[in-house]
Amino acid sequence: MIGRVLALARKELRQLFASPIAYVVGTAYVALTGIYFFQHLVSYNQLLFVYQSEGLGGGGFDQGTVPSHINVLNEVFVPAADDFGLFLLVVLPLVTMRVFAEERASGTDELLLTSGLRPFEVALAKHAVTYLFVVLLLAASAIYPAVVVSRAALGFEHLIALYVGQLPCSSFTSSQIVAAVLGYSIPFVLLDFAWLSNAVSEPVARALGEIALLGHYGSFPRGVIELREVLYFASIAFLGWLASLTALELGRAR
Amino acid sequence: MSARIEARNVSKRFGGVVALDDLSLDVAPGEVFGLIGPNGAGKTTFIRILTGFWLASEGDVRLDGVSVTRDRFRVQARLGYACEQPKLYADHSVDAFLRFVGGLRGLHGAGLRGAIGRSIERMGLEPVRGRRIGVLSKGFRQRVALAQALLHDPPLLVVDEPTVGLDPAQQIELRRILSGLRGTHTVLLCTHQLHEAEAICDRVALLDRGRLAAIATAEEIRAGAGLEALFLARVGRSAQAEPAT
Amino acid sequence: MSLLPAAGLVMILVGVASHYATRSLQGFSAFPAANVALGIALVLVGAAARARAFRGFSGAASRRVALRALAIFAAGAIAAIGLGVASRSWTARLDLTVDRLYTLSDQTRSLCAELDRSGAVAIELVFFEDALLAKDARLLVAAYGAACPRVSIRDASRSEPPAGARALYTTTATTVIACRGGVCDPVGYPSERNITAALLRLSSERSPRVFFLIGHGEVDLASESDGGYSGLAALLRDQGFDVRALVGPAAAEGPAGADVLIAAAPERDLLPEEIALLDRWLESGGRMLVLAEPGLRSNLYSDLLLRWGFDLEDGVIVDAAASPLLENPSPLNLLVHLFAPYHPVSRTLSRRTMVLMPTTRPVALARKPQPDDRLERIAFATERARVDHDLTRALAGRSPARSDAAIGEPAVAAAGSYPRGGTGAAGEASAAEARIVVIGDRDFASNRLIGALYNRDLLLNAARWLASDESRIALTDKAWTPNQDPLTLQQTVAYFYFLAFALPEALLLLGIYAWWRQRA
Repeated sequence: MIGRVLALARKELRQLFASPIAYVVGTAYVALTGIYFFQHLVSYNQLLFVYQSEGLGGGGFDQGTVPSHINVLNEVFVPAADDFGLFLLVVLPLVTMRVFAEERASGTDELLLTSGLRPFEVALAKHAVTYLFVVLLLAASAIYPAVVVSRAALGFEHLIALYVGQLPCSSFTSSQIVAAVLGYSIPFVLLDFAWLSNAVSEPVARALGEIALLGHYGSFPRGVIELREVLYFASIAFLGWLASLTALELGRAR
Repeated sequence: MSARIEARNVSKRFGGVVALDDLSLDVAPGEVFGLIGPNGAGKTTFIRILTGFWLASEGDVRLDGVSVTRDRFRVQARLGYACEQPKLYADHSVDAFLRFVGGLRGLHGAGLRGAIGRSIERMGLEPVRGRRIGVLSKGFRQRVALAQALLHDPPLLVVDEPTVGLDPAQQIELRRILSGLRGTHTVLLCTHQLHEAEAICDRVALLDRGRLAAIATAEEIRAGAGLEALFLARVGRSAQAEPAT
Repeated sequence: MSLLPAAGLVMILVGVASHYATRSLQGFSAFPAANVALGIALVLVGAAARARAFRGFSGAASRRVALRALAIFAAGAIAAIGLGVASRSWTARLDLTVDRLYTLSDQTRSLCAELDRSGAVAIELVFFEDALLAKDARLLVAAYGAACPRVSIRDASRSEPPAGARALYTTTATTVIACRGGVCDPVGYPSERNITAALLRLSSERSPRVFFLIGHGEVDLASESDGGYSGLAALLRDQGFDVRALVGPAAAEGPAGADVLIAAAPERDLLPEEIALLDRWLESGGRMLVLAEPGLRSNLYSDLLLRWGFDLEDGVIVDAAASPLLENPSPLNLLVHLFAPYHPVSRTLSRRTMVLMPTTRPVALARKPQPDDRLERIAFATERARVDHDLTRALAGRSPARSDAAIGEPAVAAAGSYPRGGTGAAGEASAAEARIVVIGDRDFASNRLIGALYNRDLLLNAARWLASDESRIALTDKAWTPNQDPLTLQQTVAYFYFLAFALPEALLLLGIYAWWRQRA
C-alpha cells in the first residue's frame, strides 16, 4: 500500500509543480501574506513611536513606557496569522479543486482505478500532496516572521505553533472532490456563523459556533497548541478525505 | 502465463438504457480474442466491467475464477489495460510515466528498472524514452499505453482500439506485437477494424446492442465469406448506416 | 456539477460576504438575506432535480457498494462529531510561548489545591468574548479551569453571567471577572498574577477590613443625608468589605488590623501622634484612601500626604469643558473621563465611563519618599481645565478664563505604591507594599452621587486595589517584553522590498524555470 500511495503522491507532486498554477498560487499567497505582514509591522512600528514619545498625551503612565500588551505578538503576529489563514482559504482551492476534475477530464482516472489502486489510497495520496503543498507555502511565507522572531525574541517554538495552526486551515479545502463541487462556498460559509446568529435560536447559534472555523483557531497564533483544536481540524481533514473516498465509491456504483 | 475469462449473464443498465444484456462468453488462456461491434454495442462497457472500473448490474466476470465484482483488486493485479485514446500524463516523460505505473503495480528497485527496460524494448520506445508524452505522435503514445499495460507482465492484456489513427506501418507493427503475445498472454482486443480482427484473433465475438450476436473462430471466418459478411448477416445492417455515438 | 446548485452556492457566498462587509452599518439586511435565501432555494431545487433524475441503482452490486460507501461516511462523520463533542472538555495543551504565558505557576496550583482541600465555595471566572484581550484570557482561564477544581469558567458570550459580573463589565478592558456567590471582583488585566490575586481575595476567610477615620470632621459614615456616606458604607459591605469606624485618638485604637484606612476629607488637623501612627502604619505596608475637598485644611494633606509624595495645594479645578451633559452646567462640576489606562484603579474606566466630581481639589505629585516608590496620576480633568486658588472667586463663578496656575489636565486623583519592609504573622520580616490613593473630591462618594455615572466604580476599584494582598503572591506578571525597538526607515524599506517583491519574484522565476524545463 505504501508503495502505491508514494508512487501516486510522487506523480501528483510532479504534476503540481509542472503546472504554472502552483507557482501562481504560491506567488499570490506569498505576496499577499508579505504585504499584509508588512502592513501590520509598519502599524506596530508607528505605535511604538507614538508610545515612546509624548504623542499620546495625558500622562498617566511613565513617559516612554510601552504597555506590555503592545508587542509584536498582539500587534503583528496574531493579526497576521488571521490573514494568513484567510489567504490560504482563498488560494488553496485554486490548486485543489482541479486535481480530481483533471483526472476525470483527461480520463486518467480510469488508468488509476484499474491499476489496483484502492480508492482510499487515491484519496490519501492526493490529500497528502495537498498538505505538502501547504507546508511548502507556509515555509515560504515563514521567512519574514522568522526574521521578526529572531529580532523579537518571540521564540521559534511559538512560531511552530503558529504554523501548525495554519496547516489545518487547508483541511477545509483538502477534499478535492468537495472542493471541485463546492468551490469556495463551503469554507467561507463555515468560517464564522455570526451571519446566521440573528436568524436562529441561541442553542443552534451556539452549536454552529462550535463548528465554525474561526473559533477554533485563536490559540495557535498565541503559541498554544490545544489538543481539542488539533482534533477539530483533524476531524475536518478526516471528513474531507472520507468525502473524497465516498465520492470515488459512489462514482463506481453507477 | 495467461488467464481465462468467464463472463456469465453480464448485464449493465444506466437508468433506462441497457448497455449490456445478458452477455456470456469465455476466453481461453493464451487466446487472442476479438470483440467487435458497432458503436454503442457494449464493447467498452464490457471492458470497463472486466477491468473493475464499473460494476455489472447483473452477472459477473471472472478471471481465473476470481470474481471482479467481489475482488476487483486481485483481478486488476492480473490484467493490463490499454484504453482507447490512451489516457496518459502528457507532462511526464515516457520513462517517468512507466516508473509511475510500475510503482502503482508494486514494482520497485531493480525489478522496476528491468520491467521498464523490457517494456521499452518490446514497444520500441528507446528513441523517445526521455521525451515528454505530450509531444509524442499518436503511434508512440499507443505504444506507451501498451508498454504500461505490459509493464508488470500480466496474464491478461486488454486493448481497446489500439490502432486507431496509426499509419499503416504502425498498425502492422502493433498487430505483430499483439500476435506475438499469443500463447504467453491472453489478449482481449476490442476493435472496429474487421480486417484487424480477422488477421490476428483466434476467435471473434460480435456484439450488437449489448447482446452477443455471434462468436466465430478464425477458421470459421476464413472458411466463410469473412468477418464482414458475418457481421452483416448477424448484425443485419451496414456499418456506414450506424449512427455515430 | 449542475448549474442550479452551483449558482445557489455562489449566491450564498455573496450573501455571507456582503453581510460581513456591511454589518458595521446595519444588521442582517435585505440584500445578504435575499442572497442567502435564494441561494439555499436554488441548492434545494437542484438537489431535488438530481434526486428526481436518479433512476435507481443499476443493480444489486451497485446498491451494495453505494450503501456501504454512504454508511462508512455516516459512521465516520458520527465518529468525528462525537470525538469533537467529547474533546470540548479536554484541556491538554502545549504551551510554546516564551515564559509559558498560559501555564499556571506552582504557586497558583498550590492555592487551587488549598481551596479544594478547604472546600471553599466555588469561584467562577467569567470572561467576555468581545473584550480586548479575550482570546488571551480564554487560554489563561481555561488553564485555571483545568487545574483548579473549585474554579469554573463561564463564557459570558454563551451563557448569561451573574448580575454582579454584568454590572462590573463597564468597558472592554474588563475581560475577566471573578465571582463568588454574589460578590464579584473585576480582576483587572487578565494575567495570572491578577487572576490569582482575585481568587485570593474572594476566597479569603476574612473580609477585608475597611476602617474609616473619624473624629476630625470627616464625612459621617452613618449619615443618610445627601452629603453622608451611609450609601458608601453599604456599598462596601455589599462588596464583601468589613466596614468599621476608627475613632481617634490613635493611642486607644490604632489602624493595625485594618486592611484599608479611609480618611474621608478630614477638616481638622490630626494629632501629632496620630500622624506618627499613620506614618508608621504606612511604613509597615499600610493602605490608605484619602478623599479631599477644596478649602479643607488639615495636616493630613500638608504633612503626611506631602511626605508620601502628594501635593494637595488648596484650590479648585475650573474646567470650561466640564459638565456639558448636566442640567446646570458649571465649570466646577467635572465630568472626569480621562484616566490612566494601565493603573489598576483606573484601567477599567475610560472616556465612556465618566465620573462626576463637583468642586474638586487638584492632586499634584511631589517628591517620592524613596527612589523605588511609584507615584502616578490616575484621573484628570481636560486640557482646558485650570486651577483657581481663590476659592471664593471660583465658587462664585468668577474665575478668570486663564487662571494664575495655568496647567492643562490637572489630576483629580493619584495613587502611590511604596515597597517597604514589614512584619509577617509570625513576626518575621516580609516584603510589604504600602499604597495610597488620593482623590480630590469627597462629594462624588456621597449618598447623592455615589450611584451617579461610574462614581462607585472609581471608589470600589480604589478600595479593592488597596485591600488586595498580592504580596502573598510571589508571582511576577509574565509580562514578556519582546524587543520593542521600532524599525528604522532603512529597515522598513528593506522589509518592504523583501516581503512584497523579492520573495514573490523568486517564486515566479522558479515557476518560469519549471515551465521552461517542461517545454525543453
